[in-house]
Amino acid sequence: MEQPERFGQPRPLPTAAYPGWEAIYADNIERIYRLMYAKVGNRQDAEDLTSQVFLTALGPLRATASVGEVRSYLLATARTVLAAHWRATLGHQVTVIDVDVVSLEDVSEPGREERAGRTDERIGAILSGLTERHRAILTLRFLRGYSIKAAAAELGVTVANAKVLQHRALRRAAGLDKEGDAS
Amino acid sequence: MKRPIDRYVESLLRRRRPADFVPTEDDIAIARAAIDLAAAAPDAQRPREAFVEDLRRRVADRQDAAPEPASAAPRSGGSGSPASAWPLASAWSPAARRIRGRRRFLTATALTATGVVAGVAGVAVDRAVTGSESPATDADQELTPTIGSWQTVAGAADLAEGAVLPFDLGAVSGFLRRASGRVQAVSGICTHQGCRLHLDTPGDGFVCPCHGATFSLSGAPLTRPHGSSPLPALPRLPVRIEGGNVQVYAPNQA
Repeated sequence: MEQPERFGQPRPLPTAAYPGWEAIYADNIERIYRLMYAKVGNRQDAEDLTSQVFLTALGPLRATASVGEVRSYLLATARTVLAAHWRATLGHQVTVIDVDVVSLEDVSEPGREERAGRTDERIGAILSGLTERHRAILTLRFLRGYSIKAAAAELGVTVANAKVLQHRALRRAAGLDKEGDAS
Repeated sequence: MKRPIDRYVESLLRRRRPADFVPTEDDIAIARAAIDLAAAAPDAQRPREAFVEDLRRRVADRQDAAPEPASAAPRSGGSGSPASAWPLASAWSPAARRIRGRRRFLTATALTATGVVAGVAGVAVDRAVTGSESPATDADQELTPTIGSWQTVAGAADLAEGAVLPFDLGAVSGFLRRASGRVQAVSGICTHQGCRLHLDTPGDGFVCPCHGATFSLSGAPLTRPHGSSPLPALPRLPVRIEGGNVQVYAPNQA
């Protein structure tokens, strides 16, 4: 048996080339999936869109393309795939991949667990400016997986109130209601 | 009081695919905030192993089928939109599709290897596979689905209970094995990067000389190279005993 080690270990420089499509796949599947999940917020759609990206992109890719080229190509494909998804579902570009801003290098590396900081940052941006109760209901429901019932119990309100609270909190988080619309 | 946007948000909270609706401007903003929050959930980060593996297999299928078109390389250095700079369509040239079609036939044959089906069923499966994927039918017409035949690889008497025998038919090579009286044939090509497998020295599995992946005698993946995603099992090949010979269904040699 030889070294059972080929790719994945030394991080390829963006100018290096991948040894083959398997390496492209192994290195980028998680990045693309996370990126898509961040844009659609659910697993099924994220899986579908990730599949589309790889099935579309890997065919025409030249094996000798550099890692950087491959990534930007995948990213460009992802942008197109996501745009088509929104056209087909809600008819509006709810989220977009801005290829000038997003870089696959930034989407955390496969197998790494260092994303806590990023997540906190993103959540912080969404939840900042909300009242204590609005923050609480969104945290309980989205981040801690509470049912509406459990969240209502936790906050000491009725289920109906919790629903209203959640709705208003989301509107506020979406930047729709400004000060003075307290619940 | 359930508005469509509420249902949309509720689906995201239940980790389900939300249903389509016609949103207002406000709805879009709310959906965006809900997506951001849902994507930040701690359990929402990693792709499922099964999904990664399944997609890997689908991509592999496609990659094997379409040897990379040398002319269709992404050009670097373009400052314009990368999406339009690269020829997505070129992989779908008629020639590439023809090859895809043939290879698909091989895959389909291998998949039907449970022993029940031979040529005819193989054809049907192949039609179904190609048909569902590309509406263009020119590839179908050029397909020659009857290029396979049953080919003798060993005498039935040579394959004792528990024995494992390698065989090589050119296009298809692998291992025969008789376990509990039944004859099985598995492909002898590693599903990692296509190296030819060796029979392990104690004879209880296959090992890949390239990166050390190992498989059980029935083809199940046991270990994989470090850093690789899980490997698919070795494909089973259709096998039968006919007139005292063990035969494998494989493409005719050119």
